[in-house]
Amino acid sequence: MYIIQGLQCRNCGRSYTLSPTHICEFCFGGLDVVYDYSKVGHTFTLKALENRPYNIWRYKELLPIEKEPVCGFNVGFTPLLRARRLERLLGIKEIYIKNDAVNHPTLSFKDRVVAVAISKAVEFGYDVISCASTGNLANSVAALAASCGLKSYVFIPWDLEAGKVLGTLIYGAHLIRVKGTYDDVNRLCSEIAENFEWAFVNINIRPFYAEGSKTFGFEIAEQMNFKLPKHIVVPMGGGSLITKIWKAFKELQTLGFIDAIETKMHGAQAEGANPIVSAYKQGRKTIKPVKPNTIAKSLAIGNPADGAYALQTIRESGGTAEDVTDDEILEGIKMLAREEGIFTETAGGVTVAVTRKLKEQGVIGEDDSVVIAITGNGLKTQEVVRNNMGEPTVIEPNLKDFEKIYCTVI
Amino acid sequence: MVTVKIPGPLRKLTGGKDLIQLEGVVTVKDALEKLIETYPELEDRLKDERGLLREFINIFVNNEDIRFLNELDTELKDQDHIILVPAIAGGQGKRRVKLYFPPDKVKEPVIYNLGHMFKIVTNIRKANVDEDFGWVSLEVEGSDEEFSKAIEYLKKLGIRVEPIEGDILI
Ligand SMILES: Cc1ncc(COP(=O)(O)O)c(C=O)c1O
Ligand SMILES: [Zn+2]
Repeated sequence: MYIIQGLQCRNCGRSYTLSPTHICEFCFGGLDVVYDYSKVGHTFTLKALENRPYNIWRYKELLPIEKEPVCGFNVGFTPLLRARRLERLLGIKEIYIKNDAVNHPTLSFKDRVVAVAISKAVEFGYDVISCASTGNLANSVAALAASCGLKSYVFIPWDLEAGKVLGTLIYGAHLIRVKGTYDDVNRLCSEIAENFEWAFVNINIRPFYAEGSKTFGFEIAEQMNFKLPKHIVVPMGGGSLITKIWKAFKELQTLGFIDAIETKMHGAQAEGANPIVSAYKQGRKTIKPVKPNTIAKSLAIGNPADGAYALQTIRESGGTAEDVTDDEILEGIKMLAREEGIFTETAGGVTVAVTRKLKEQGVIGEDDSVVIAITGNGLKTQEVVRNNMGEPTVIEPNLKDFEKIYCTVI
Repeated sequence: MVTVKIPGPLRKLTGGKDLIQLEGVVTVKDALEKLIETYPELEDRLKDERGLLREFINIFVNNEDIRFLNELDTELKDQDHIILVPAIAGGQGKRRVKLYFPPDKVKEPVIYNLGHMFKIVTNIRKANVDEDFGWVSLEVEGSDEEFSKAIEYLKKLGIRVEPIEGDILI
């Protein structure tokens, strides 16, 4: 193949060979994978796609893997569904849900990035996989490492949801709970990564890992017959996903699959962890870190690694950035469940609530088409809705009891 | 006395040392100056062309990001521990644009003028200029505002300006 040419600094443009590094030695800018697009087109065609399996590896020429992947054969190609009831409720003509709440194997979009990262880590010869995580990445690293017979060390902040803790331990991962926020975990892991020969998926393997998020964008494009929607609302934690969806669209354009890109990329955060949104609103191009405090723990990142690139993406596409309160997030979760039958985690509550807000502000018009990114599953963040849901009605196992209750309570 | 932890990529320049001890420094800024005094090669790694701290380096004092303290003026006390951590990515990349020159502009020193009229630094990455037309792929550094002004100026001259995707090599 030899489609991948190497790594390049996103800041100063210096080139590096393909290796497990993520920052430019000279200026500390982030590194990005460089492809030779003239070669991609040889094998990556509409015709070829017809016969490929429905998982992330159908886009293999645009993923940074040189050998055969070692995992992820059930990752990706999640449903893109028309949300007709939500359309009526919000007064928007076309709404689509890209539903990674049912991505396999661990029910979030992170399986995409981790499948790519682990395949690359194995190419590089690593046998221990590690990460700093807000929860979903932890689950995914633990599960996919287990499926490849690899050891994993997973670092999480102090206050994660029970489902995400258990959903890591079950796979036999070494789970380390750090007394601090995600940003503390991340700083600690940068130090650990220097002393241990491990594949940290979001540190030394980051340029490769991040490329996996492009598949979210490739799929949206393909599922819409390469006619992109007018808006996409994407949750932002570290800011990588939104950047890479945009890169995916650009690549499809370079390759001639789509003509003009008129999609506006809207970034969504929780008010309690909104460093990217506030930089956007204040017209800044650099991020001022914040101390996160929100129920949306998967997005609770105060010092986002790709924040500045997310800002660039939003501005370049003509999109916006908006945040919502914890109450609005809960309403968003309920709305998606009650209108469309999809139980999403807090990050999905954020994108649904931001979509509603953008409609109210007139940023999204009533005749527009919108894709809402639903990136995680509600079963993992049950505690946030539990107090909000009421209790089931309790009865004795006899008909009379039910009828009595039916006439009064229900 | 305070200690400074040097990140991996910089240890080549400190003779392999990862922990450096400094005496008599009052602020984080002093500490960085002292560090550069001791290891002069660190200067252009830690500072950019304008002499400012590179934006991809995060500095922590006793595990707190100095952006939550008093930035570079954060005061230090005995036994404080400073860590320099490369931001995982972050920051603003240089912009790349491609300029297409019509016949009547090919011979004018347009790029030279740009650097003099606006507060930007330009760097030609690639070019193909003929007698009667040409293009130049240009790297531009500078604030958003100055960059926009420069682009406006080019457009007024009748030069087509197109953005270049950072990682598409042409
Ligand atoms: C469910 C979910 N959605 C979105 C994100 C944000 O992605 P990114 O960090 O790439 O912005 C995360 C994790 O950070 C997540 O777990
Ligand atoms: Zn660089």
